[in-house]
Amino acid sequence: MGDSQYSFSLTTFSPSGKLVQIEHALTAVGSGQTSLGIKAANGVVIATEKKLPSILVDETSVQKIQILTPNIGVVYSGMGPDFRVLVRKSRKQAEQYHRLYKEPIPVTQLVRETAAVMQEFTQSGGVRPFGVSLLVAGYDDKGPQLYQVDPSGSYFSWKASAMGKNVSNAKTFLEKRYTDDMELDDAVHTAILTLKEGFEGQISGKNIEIGIIGADKKFRVLTPAEIDDYLAEVE
Amino acid sequence: MSRGSGGGYDRHITIFSPEGRLFQVEYAFKAVKAAGITSIGVRGKDSVCVVTQKKVPDKLLDHTSVTHLFPITKYLGLLATGVTADARTLVQQARNEAAEFRFRYGYEMPVDVLAKWIADKSQIYTQHAYMRPLGVVAMVLGIDEEYGPRLYKCDPAGHYFGHKATSAGLKEQEAINFLEKKMKNDPQFTYEETVQTAISALQSVLQEDFKATEIEVGVVRKENPVFRVLSTEEIDEHLTAISERD
Repeated sequence: MGDSQYSFSLTTFSPSGKLVQIEHALTAVGSGQTSLGIKAANGVVIATEKKLPSILVDETSVQKIQILTPNIGVVYSGMGPDFRVLVRKSRKQAEQYHRLYKEPIPVTQLVRETAAVMQEFTQSGGVRPFGVSLLVAGYDDKGPQLYQVDPSGSYFSWKASAMGKNVSNAKTFLEKRYTDDMELDDAVHTAILTLKEGFEGQISGKNIEIGIIGADKKFRVLTPAEIDDYLAEVE
Repeated sequence: MSRGSGGGYDRHITIFSPEGRLFQVEYAFKAVKAAGITSIGVRGKDSVCVVTQKKVPDKLLDHTSVTHLFPITKYLGLLATGVTADARTLVQQARNEAAEFRFRYGYEMPVDVLAKWIADKSQIYTQHAYMRPLGVVAMVLGIDEEYGPRLYKCDPAGHYFGHKATSAGLKEQEAINFLEKKMKNDPQFTYEETVQTAISALQSVLQEDFKATEIEVGVVRKENPVFRVLSTEEIDEHLTAISERD
């Protein structure tokens, strides 16, 4: 891919054996808005801050949490435009799998293929790594799953994870609050409390986004009204 | 030949700097400001209006050929702020894409689809070394069949958002501050109010009163969803209405 003039990798090893472009990509992720995910016993919740640059921006035109398949959703921290590219590629991969095998793509497979794309961009000629980390939430035959994928292309399954600006506080908070037998509703409350920890300003249904998937295996993004209801319960 | 942060190439092509920034993208934003023009867009209840300065640097220039307002299709308009040459390339590609969309799918390309296409193309330039980002901020306007009047802004980084009102160019931040005050309580502007808010925002921010030949105004209205560039007479009417109001 890319022009022949740039048929060499821009991501190369430093003398100490590090791939510095990937490290810089992670720095870009670390300065992005906080997002997190929690795996409950009967579902998964992912959430993110939705801070827009001005009140003039129409917040209904922006959706950070995206659906990849009816039972898999994804959120990111980092560079929005890079995220759109990955969403598009992942959706296509999921659809191609379905066309070939006549069944919905398992969460692990989709994560693996998306991660492979991200890895390609750390090795191919003339391109830079993606400046996003993804949190993929899905529910298939193996139950609820939560995966985090990094700009390097490496991915891990998590019980709960956070990314972006407030990552260390958020992870500490999650470690304290997480229990293996959490229900989905508890997980949503915990997610909101975690976001609230590092939130600057007044939290509301308009400046955070929450996506959930339960045993019905249907991923959906909560409406601002539903988020406000959860917020009232948390108060 | 060293690559990566040590080599200093992070300023020449779009690879990450040690702080995780893309300098080429940031420089593209500076190029938009360097063009020295400010543009404003306002979305009303059933119309969208965009306004920009028309600076003709030389009297010998044919002033009708100096423009930043481009129809993409009959129903979609694009206001390009920044490097004029990059703007023309973008407009040409957008026109092609919109025409192919109409042919392929049998209905007119919606505003947000065009905005997303422009933004996705801009994202490619931020990730591939062989093409630099374009020094253009594009405001796309049109009447959407479902959602009504829509105004989108696409920037060199590949971001795009829908806006109730926005600005681009040299005095972008001042204009946004002005517009935030005006749009605070979600006013539902009529067509005349929309146009006059946009023009008076530009006048206030640049602190000068315009003649009709010094600005360009483009509109789309629900009752006539065609993208139209206003004539100097129409602009004059609005300017008069603004000065009489004050």
